[in-house]
Amino acid sequence: MAPPATTGRLNLLEWLKTITFYELLVGMKTTLSHLLHYKPITLQYPHEKRTLPDNYRGMLALLRYDDGTEKCVGCDLCEAACPSRVIRVVSAEVPGEPTKRYSKEYYMDMTRCLFCGMCVDACPVDALGMTREFEWAVYDKRQLHLNKAQLLAIGDRSYPVREKRLELQHPNTAFFNVAFQHIPQKSE
Amino acid sequence: MTELGLRLAVSLTQIAAVTGIVIVTVLLLTLAERKVLGWMQDRMGPMEVGPYGTLQPFADAIKLFFKEDLVPAGANKFLFTMAPILALIPALIGFAVIPWGPNVTYEIGGLSIKPFIISDINIGILYILAFASIGAYGIILGGWASNSKYSLLGGLRSAAQVISYELNVGLSIVGVLLIAGSLSLVKITDAQAGGFWNWYAFAFPAPQLFALVVYVISAVAETNRVPFDLPEAESELVAGFFTEYSGLRFAFFYLAEYANMVLVSCVATALFLGGWNAPYPGTLIGYLGLPSFAWVENTMWFAFKTYSFLFLFFWLRATLPRLRYDQLMRFGWKVMLPIALANIVVTALAVFFFG
Repeated sequence: MAPPATTGRLNLLEWLKTITFYELLVGMKTTLSHLLHYKPITLQYPHEKRTLPDNYRGMLALLRYDDGTEKCVGCDLCEAACPSRVIRVVSAEVPGEPTKRYSKEYYMDMTRCLFCGMCVDACPVDALGMTREFEWAVYDKRQLHLNKAQLLAIGDRSYPVREKRLELQHPNTAFFNVAFQHIPQKSE
Repeated sequence: MTELGLRLAVSLTQIAAVTGIVIVTVLLLTLAERKVLGWMQDRMGPMEVGPYGTLQPFADAIKLFFKEDLVPAGANKFLFTMAPILALIPALIGFAVIPWGPNVTYEIGGLSIKPFIISDINIGILYILAFASIGAYGIILGGWASNSKYSLLGGLRSAAQVISYELNVGLSIVGVLLIAGSLSLVKITDAQAGGFWNWYAFAFPAPQLFALVVYVISAVAETNRVPFDLPEAESELVAGFFTEYSGLRFAFFYLAEYANMVLVSCVATALFLGGWNAPYPGTLIGYLGLPSFAWVENTMWFAFKTYSFLFLFFWLRATLPRLRYDQLMRFGWKVMLPIALANIVVTALAVFFFG
């Protein structure tokens, strides 16, 4: 503990420390000891990569069921959940199956994405996933404006094991077929 | 006539050799600095070009060589071009009077050659100081001619800093000059022969240790190095006086800065630490019975001392933060200057009574 310096009298020790650059010497000793006990914490990045944590939130992807059909039901919840308006979904009925919907178009503007994972949490059918990809530097920003095909491709290469599709498990069925059955249908 | 031609050839060879050595040293320094700085901060420094990044200086040189040479709009083109040259030439020209090795004379073909001394002018140290001051013009003009506020501020800071610290450099040297009684670096170095107790930093009548400390601190300030790198403070002034420079002109400034570092280290070695003299009387090679090869040991000692100073530069850079401007000025005028002046008085008295 240094004594309070407000005494007004010249503290001899403090004075000696000042004129001998004591504090500087302490600092220089530290740097020298780091030089002598050289142990870098650097990772030579392109050559060696760090182990990613299990819950790493990387590039977003759209997923499929094991029979190759898309999981997405076009509910727009991801769009609503996204804090930075990355996602744009154009929802449509599945042709020939009026009870089912799917995302006709699905866009993600990854230049704005902050990888919070809220869309993944919001998705009722687990159609969105976060991969462990992070090397997405591009020369043209427009390449980060991804469409549905690209997002599905990312999911295909990052999630080789797909979820099994059970017909009745599909929330689409439960939601649209059962809950709204009493609502009168629009006459055509 | 032929003798004149031969002399000219010998001198030119010496100049080429010394310039070459200095440039190679600067190349080495750019790598060594980044490496040492990295190691001190638990990093690795450059690792990509060549094994362990050893070819990095060449990559840098090639990059700078092929970069576009920009002149900002509204710049004074003449001064903008002149400034790097004005900075570089004084930095390199000072090496002419540095004694690199023993003051021996070889008789070759009727010519007496001093291989380690390009020129032994009797005002050697004054010559170096004078040219070091001219080097400041390069910085100031470069800052002014760029037509940029950052450059101008860097140049102005440099002007004030150089004026303040040139003075301390000059005054800290005076003690040595009083003891040696000469301004010639060759004579000063010769007078320090025979062991480290004869070096002027430790010599009997008045050890110049305080002068050495003042000199080193002022030299750091004069070469615009951390912690006195206000003219090129990158967190305040982008890059200070060479913000607007690119390509080869930028390389010139860079070269000048490092050549200046080498120069002040050489001067410190020659004035305070015995130059090429070993810290023991004579040389080991001389004792082994090969006195004609003693110059190897002597030049090695010179190189070792110089590189120790250069290491100190890196060490300071790795450790210290930048001073504030008023702190810099207060330190220069109210701390360094009185110490240097007191040193002169004490040295003068000691030399008068014991010398």
